[in-house]
Amino acid sequence: MSDRDLKRWLCLGCGFSYDEALGLPEHGISPGTRWADIPDDWCCPDCGTPKHLFEMVEIPYAPGQPTPQRPPL
Amino acid sequence: MSNSFILRAADRGHEKILSTGPTASYVGGHPDAFITRHSSFNFHDYQSGRAGFGRIRVFGDETFNNPGCSYNMHPHHNFIICAFVLSGRLQHINTTGNNDELLAGDYYAFSAGSGGLHTEINVHREPMNAIYLWMLPDHLYLPPSYARGRFDAEASANRITPLLGTGAPLPIPQDATVSRLFSTRSGRHVHRPRSRGHGLYCFVIDGRLTCDGTMLERRDSKGLWNATEIVLESGETGADALLVETIL
Repeated sequence: MSDRDLKRWLCLGCGFSYDEALGLPEHGISPGTRWADIPDDWCCPDCGTPKHLFEMVEIPYAPGQPTPQRPPL
Repeated sequence: MSNSFILRAADRGHEKILSTGPTASYVGGHPDAFITRHSSFNFHDYQSGRAGFGRIRVFGDETFNNPGCSYNMHPHHNFIICAFVLSGRLQHINTTGNNDELLAGDYYAFSAGSGGLHTEINVHREPMNAIYLWMLPDHLYLPPSYARGRFDAEASANRITPLLGTGAPLPIPQDATVSRLFSTRSGRHVHRPRSRGHGLYCFVIDGRLTCDGTMLERRDSKGLWNATEIVLESGETGADALLVETIL
């Protein structure tokens, strides 16, 4: 994976994922927003874990995914 | 030559999380309820230890104290969350439609996948002690799933018994296997990792176990990798251990 590739990050508090390609439009983060461009004081919208406790992952999506991230219910 | 780390029980992270009452968003229950959590790897406020091992990210030795002590209903994605009940009774409720009571020896694997919620409650006076294990999945956003199993200590004594994962009764979406060694007498057990690319995390629940030459006491643990075989030796007083084999 090169530095130019869009990356995925996983919240180590709950498993919420942030995908640079998808952004989080429902939280005001546009698709294509790099992780580095998200403010340092940003927290997981599901559990409040701070940004620095996310881990970059290279895990592929399940077939048919991703669909836009949404609340679990 | 294998590589390893040793983690003594007292060197784990320790948190005592108090109930914040009936409207709690995290730990709730009786006002005197609290959870004690000993973490083998960095989690929550404990961040001065190891980040994880292979696909393991959380290994928490947790006790729910006082009636109603609970993690209230809260969301997850992606992680494979497993609980192994050691004593007491655990009520597990999740949004895949399960409402289970688990007793000592029972365990579950809840793969949160594309999203699910769960609550963990001890509704009894007796404290509930469980090991919580979280692993990364092999794919993101899998369909959420839940399965439970039971470890019968008497029927499975004195051998390594796979509980969940590869080659075990409960499959999980990861190249990992959790086994239990419940030994009632002195014995020598050899674990052969599936490949040199797999590591083993050995956690002693009770008793004393010599793991690859290291004497481990109750709640001590050892991680090993780059090994072709790992020798586990229990003494006359026996030993009880969880073994997590994971791709590195």
